[in-house]
Amino acid sequence: MDFSLVAQGLVSGVLASGLYALVSVGLALAIGVIGIVNFAHGEFFMVGAFLAYQLFVSFGFDPVVSLLFVAPILFVLGAVIYQSSIRYVLKAPELNQMLLTFGIGIILQNLALVIWGGDPRSISNVPYRSVGYQLAGVSIGVVPFASFLLSVALVGGLYYMLIRTPAGRAMRAVSQNRMGASLIGLEVNRIYLLAFALSAALAGLGGVMIAVIQSPTPTVGFAFTLKAFAIVVLAGLGNIRGILWASLLVALAESMVATLIPDGDALRNAVFFAIIFVVLIVRSRRLA
Amino acid sequence: MRRVLLVLSVLCLGFAFAQPVKIGILSPLTGGAAGTGQAQKAGFELALEEINAAGGVLGEPLEIIIEDTQATADVALAAFEKLMTEDEVEFIAGGFSSGVTLALVESFKTFQPLVSWIGAAVSGVGIDGFDGVEELLGNEPWFFHVHPWDYHNIEAATNFVTSTGAQSVALLHEDSAFGGPGADSAQNFIENAGLSVPLNEAFKSTLLGGTGDFRAILSKAQASNADMLYWIGYDSDVVPMISQIRELNYEPNFIFGAPPGWPADFANAPEANCVTGLIGFLPNLPTEDAQAFTKAFEAKFNTQPDNYNSALAYAQLWSYADAINAAGTTDQAAVIAALESGEFRSPMGAWSFGPSEITQHQGFGTELWLVFQYQDGVREIVFPLENATAPLQACQ
Repeated sequence: MDFSLVAQGLVSGVLASGLYALVSVGLALAIGVIGIVNFAHGEFFMVGAFLAYQLFVSFGFDPVVSLLFVAPILFVLGAVIYQSSIRYVLKAPELNQMLLTFGIGIILQNLALVIWGGDPRSISNVPYRSVGYQLAGVSIGVVPFASFLLSVALVGGLYYMLIRTPAGRAMRAVSQNRMGASLIGLEVNRIYLLAFALSAALAGLGGVMIAVIQSPTPTVGFAFTLKAFAIVVLAGLGNIRGILWASLLVALAESMVATLIPDGDALRNAVFFAIIFVVLIVRSRRLA
Repeated sequence: MRRVLLVLSVLCLGFAFAQPVKIGILSPLTGGAAGTGQAQKAGFELALEEINAAGGVLGEPLEIIIEDTQATADVALAAFEKLMTEDEVEFIAGGFSSGVTLALVESFKTFQPLVSWIGAAVSGVGIDGFDGVEELLGNEPWFFHVHPWDYHNIEAATNFVTSTGAQSVALLHEDSAFGGPGADSAQNFIENAGLSVPLNEAFKSTLLGGTGDFRAILSKAQASNADMLYWIGYDSDVVPMISQIRELNYEPNFIFGAPPGWPADFANAPEANCVTGLIGFLPNLPTEDAQAFTKAFEAKFNTQPDNYNSALAYAQLWSYADAINAAGTTDQAAVIAALESGEFRSPMGAWSFGPSEITQHQGFGTELWLVFQYQDGVREIVFPLENATAPLQACQ
């Protein structure tokens, strides 16, 4: 086996983990703070991708510039969806919550189909999309490297916010004990609103990255949402810090299997879910 | 009293005869293959408008009922049964995805309507231990297949590959019923043509749950040092595949892809330059029929018919209309005879149903395919040479 092939697999896996973390961190926030499993998370991601595409088509905005617009737009979209629907099911059975977010996802997906159609779109002129720098026979792509740095910065920033800022402390307090937090005067509903909107904004940022490296379609969020759910479970529900290592573990495993095993790329999803499966079994045995 | 009854009977008969012909269409209007489904829908709508403007079918306006399959087997089954039991159609059109079609085989055999089917290229011919669509339906008298089979696709692709002077080909293919058997056939054809295939590797398509990280398989292809990279995947794989080829500094002489369609805006991407692809129809095809279709399509939809499924859907609906009119009845045997003997219009020129490896009812074959190359933002036809709008350029 060629050494540079293995090295390329390792580098590609590490860099791919950035995108996985970016998609998962918003979901972890919604689950950790609000306690709601948001099945529409992938559709926020998809809307972010299409908005980046539309900003390019209509105004010629580079996706890097679009990040500045997409995050606030998704923040507002998340806030509106929370205020108009999510908050009414917070005390309802979990199945109702899941059905609601699933329905929101279908609505967003079909709206995208009506607005942008079903054909894959592409941001045609991204000069850095195909740029990779060679280092000892290994290529480091500008976009995966940038998305990795962005993810680390966002996860780090979010962690800092949760630990150091009043809003973050309030979120942690609400997530630990909703009743207690409300008794000491915290406005629980406003904190939930903030957490949900922030979660949507983070998904939107992931969507912009996807608009650069893939083709936005109404269903583009599906594969990433599935993996985001698994990463959140692997990290521990609501564990923001754990998202980074969980993303790294699964992305590396995927990349190495794809590199080392014949037809291994087709086994990516199997590898991914096998890891989750093993971790969950080990974890449940420890608890038993 | 008798006279009144006679008049009423004639009126009733007249009413019965005046029932418009309905054609049920199965197409993936939503879901991952919505691009293809929407392209088919546009082709059907344009053909329907023209057919009805030209007098309709059997003197009445033709009706179409389009059901969304979502390119999913269970949804397609429910949609087909709805068309058969609630809408009571006698003719089925549309069609996409070999996987969905394989799931529909038993239901088709149960209801036995007249089925004219666009998609499903997996014939099964030459693949041991796997029953493809042509093997399962090719001998049914009521089954007509419009789209070329996989061996037609591969033959067209191989003709192009051998014409380039490449000596070795790295094959990458998505891992479903579309890409897997297709790649195996491709390897056989290419090796029989005297070229070597140092790599034949599967990948997970973004359409079917993949996340679009193709760096591992592309690194393997790069290490194989093949002259040509030939990949079989879906439309949504185009951008990540081609951009990662560039990112990895992978420079084969030729990059050749065979997805069902290509993203419309991709032509202007700098990384698109020199990429070649297989396609069934291009708006710049320099023939009268192609230009007339493109003009009508643009007038109706304000966009170009970029996905060749529009052209195939258009051809398919016109073939039904012409065959039923020629038969003068909706009787299945008469319409089958008219479909077997007729010559029909299409944006690709006149076509008819004829024999293939198994079926006697095959529409388009190897001759459908064009190879284009992105050259400075334009998809130039480079093969076959008689339709070429520009010469092929090597990537290096």
